[in-house]
Amino acid sequence: MALYNFKKITVVPSAKDFIDLTLSKTQRKTPTVIHKHYQIHRIRHFYMRKVKYTQQNYHDRLTQILTDFPKLDDIHPFYADLMNVLYDKDHYKLALGQINIAKNLIDNVAKDYVRLMKYGDSLYRCKQLKRAALGRMCTIIKRQKQSLEYLEQVRQHLSRLPTIDPNTRTLLLCGYPNVGKSSFINKVTRADVEVQPYAFTTKSLFVGHMDYKYLRWQVVDTPGILDHPLEDRNTIEMQAITALAHLRAAVLYVMDVSEQCGHSLEEQVELFRNIKPLFANKPLIIVANKCDVKRIAELPEESQKIFESFEAEGFSVIETSTLTEEGVIQVKTEACDRLLAHRVDTKMKGNKVNEVLNRLHLAMPTKRDNKERLPFIPEGAVARKKRMEVDTPRRKLERDLEVEMGDDYVLDLQKYWDLMNASEKYDKIPEIWEGHNILDYIDPDIMRKLEELEKEEELREAAGEYDSEPESEDEEMMEIRQLAKQIREKKKLKILQSKEKDTRGPRMPRTAKKANIYLTVFLQVQRKVLEKEMTELGLDMTNKDDAHYVRRSRSVTRKRKRDESETPKSVARSRSSSRPPRDVSGLRDEKMVKKVKTMAKKAQKKMNRLGRKGEADRHIFDLKPKHLLAGKRKSGKTQRR
Amino acid sequence: AKKMIGLKAKLYHKQRHAEKIQMKKTIKMHEKRNTKEKNDEKTPKGAVPAYLLDREGQTRAKVLSNMIKQKRKEKAGKWEVPVPKVRAQGETEVLKVIRTGKRKKKAWKRMVTKVCFVGDGFTRKPPKYERFIRPMGLRFKKAHVTHPELKATFCLPILGVKKNPSSPLYTQLGVITKGTVIEVNVSELGLVTQGGKVIWGKYAQVTNNPENDGCINAVLLV
Repeated sequence: MALYNFKKITVVPSAKDFIDLTLSKTQRKTPTVIHKHYQIHRIRHFYMRKVKYTQQNYHDRLTQILTDFPKLDDIHPFYADLMNVLYDKDHYKLALGQINIAKNLIDNVAKDYVRLMKYGDSLYRCKQLKRAALGRMCTIIKRQKQSLEYLEQVRQHLSRLPTIDPNTRTLLLCGYPNVGKSSFINKVTRADVEVQPYAFTTKSLFVGHMDYKYLRWQVVDTPGILDHPLEDRNTIEMQAITALAHLRAAVLYVMDVSEQCGHSLEEQVELFRNIKPLFANKPLIIVANKCDVKRIAELPEESQKIFESFEAEGFSVIETSTLTEEGVIQVKTEACDRLLAHRVDTKMKGNKVNEVLNRLHLAMPTKRDNKERLPFIPEGAVARKKRMEVDTPRRKLERDLEVEMGDDYVLDLQKYWDLMNASEKYDKIPEIWEGHNILDYIDPDIMRKLEELEKEEELREAAGEYDSEPESEDEEMMEIRQLAKQIREKKKLKILQSKEKDTRGPRMPRTAKKANIYLTVFLQVQRKVLEKEMTELGLDMTNKDDAHYVRRSRSVTRKRKRDESETPKSVARSRSSSRPPRDVSGLRDEKMVKKVKTMAKKAQKKMNRLGRKGEADRHIFDLKPKHLLAGKRKSGKTQRR
Repeated sequence: AKKMIGLKAKLYHKQRHAEKIQMKKTIKMHEKRNTKEKNDEKTPKGAVPAYLLDREGQTRAKVLSNMIKQKRKEKAGKWEVPVPKVRAQGETEVLKVIRTGKRKKKAWKRMVTKVCFVGDGFTRKPPKYERFIRPMGLRFKKAHVTHPELKATFCLPILGVKKNPSSPLYTQLGVITKGTVIEVNVSELGLVTQGGKVIWGKYAQVTNNPENDGCINAVLLV
């Protein structure tokens, strides 16, 4: 089902705008800088890109236009006919055909010039070719000026057409101009169609929507039709005829009984007879409008006979007056009912129903005894239904109560509880936690007791009971307190000192201090400083040779047993408290040091000879050397190369 | 007046400039219409009073100069062409050297870089032996031919290349450059000789550089 949303068609630009748009887009979106000395393939690519980009843009835009505009063969025949009436089918198809041709021409131009550009051997030549290609494409578009203008106008008009759904329930109003069709639709729906005393006020179709029996109905208002043969009809009348011909709707033929529209009753009847073929298979109602001016009963005999003949033929005639709204509802209900019945009939006769009917089966229970079992409708439902029709006042709501009581209002939901014993509604419910009733643990006097306690405490505080006593501490505590105070002070001083310390020079790691001989002396001195400070503070620092901060020589710590070595003589004895350098660490004596050195050198020889970066470097610079793999012995299995 | 910047501004200003020129011209013409001017052409060399003026002499002079022109034309030769002087195209410009061989050392092949025409029944020589390569992308069959008097342009099929002014080699190869005389099929125009025979081939001279424009524009030699 094609979309009836004609509002989504892209804007069709005018020829001049189209050209400007595309060319400026090409200029903005493709690279702009190129020089003579660039390589020729780069120059070619640059200009080819521009040609292709322009072609792509034109192609895309034109394709979008072609796809957005509805194809007259794909949409509902009502819309196809309407568009034919309004825009002329041939012109429309031609315009779109021209656009299609233009698109193909542009593609061909681009193809040709891109092919030619491959032979361009200078910047000037490529540039001229690009200029010629773009110029040609723009000329093609310039030639389509008329088609583009026409399509833009069609698009604008199309987007303003009323959205009439041809498949849903519709009521169609038709008749002479000025008989009251637009007034009718204004009364029945929310549409606001212009109503004026001159003929052809309504120049196109209008749609209004209304509700009936919980369904949505469309009411279509048409321009008036005059009585002349089909060929003589103008565009406005043809729209009405199209609607009559294609929409499966209930037709309301509106007649002006009072002949205020300017046409006599006989003319109206004549028109009716002429367009009767269009009413085939549609429920028809004849609406005798403007009955407030003249009723049918007041008409002369011949006119009354006309209406009687209508009745005889089976068309119901209803008198209405859009001014006094008499009969309007009646027309609506009758038309809707008849249309619904008609639609149901059509569906029953159609093919789709059979598929469903075969599968539908209404099961009736078999009677097992003679007892009558009627359907049960609760009283409340019946009463409600009755009330809906009569509109009795409803029961009093909480809101009403609230409004009444104002500030005193308290929401009391307990009154709605449905208990066996109505007097228990306002009883207190016990609160239980972990098997205990909370109420048991509440002291009724607790608030009073709390107050008394607080008063007592205040008195005590005022009396000074909670002030701390200085004499309660013994000697030990006093000492400890004093020491702690001293330590705190010293700590603060030290922090200040370290902040002021001037850290110039590189910060050596901790181990470096040990390797440095001057540093070791300094650190030894530091031990003395430390001990002195601590004694100042009052600590006993006499037997502190085993303390952790004392630097020990190696002989004190090591105790390992080794064979085939000289007497234990540490190589770094000269500096007993320093750390040995890395190349002699872990070695006992000179002999071992020498051996280790030669081993290291030997291991390095192969690596250096092969020019390797390290042990793990296995890179081969020349995997397939030519002198080995060329010549007579090049391929195949050869054990020696 | 709109305020614009960039490329759009340039285009717009160009348009406005052209419009302004036109407007100025029309305004000037209107102004001239109401005044009387001295027309230098009408006064003869020797100052003669107005009542002795011989206007016929003037017209006669025009006729004379026309006659002189015609005589000169007849002297010059039968074929006067719309584009008489053409820049000669050297071989390096028209033919590009193609290197072939295993080591790309052989340079005896040439490729034509200009637009060319090959006949209907054209088949290439075996690729190993062809010396001049005329690429398919540069082969054209149709030309846009303008009739100088009718001022109408037709797209006519080319029958052959008659003469290329730069070199007879190019004529033989069928290279079409500016100034080349080509033969076109004019049966579309429906020309008829005095004897009643239908003319279907005529010469035309190429007026543009086809390799730059991608099409061959020519003027019919009537």
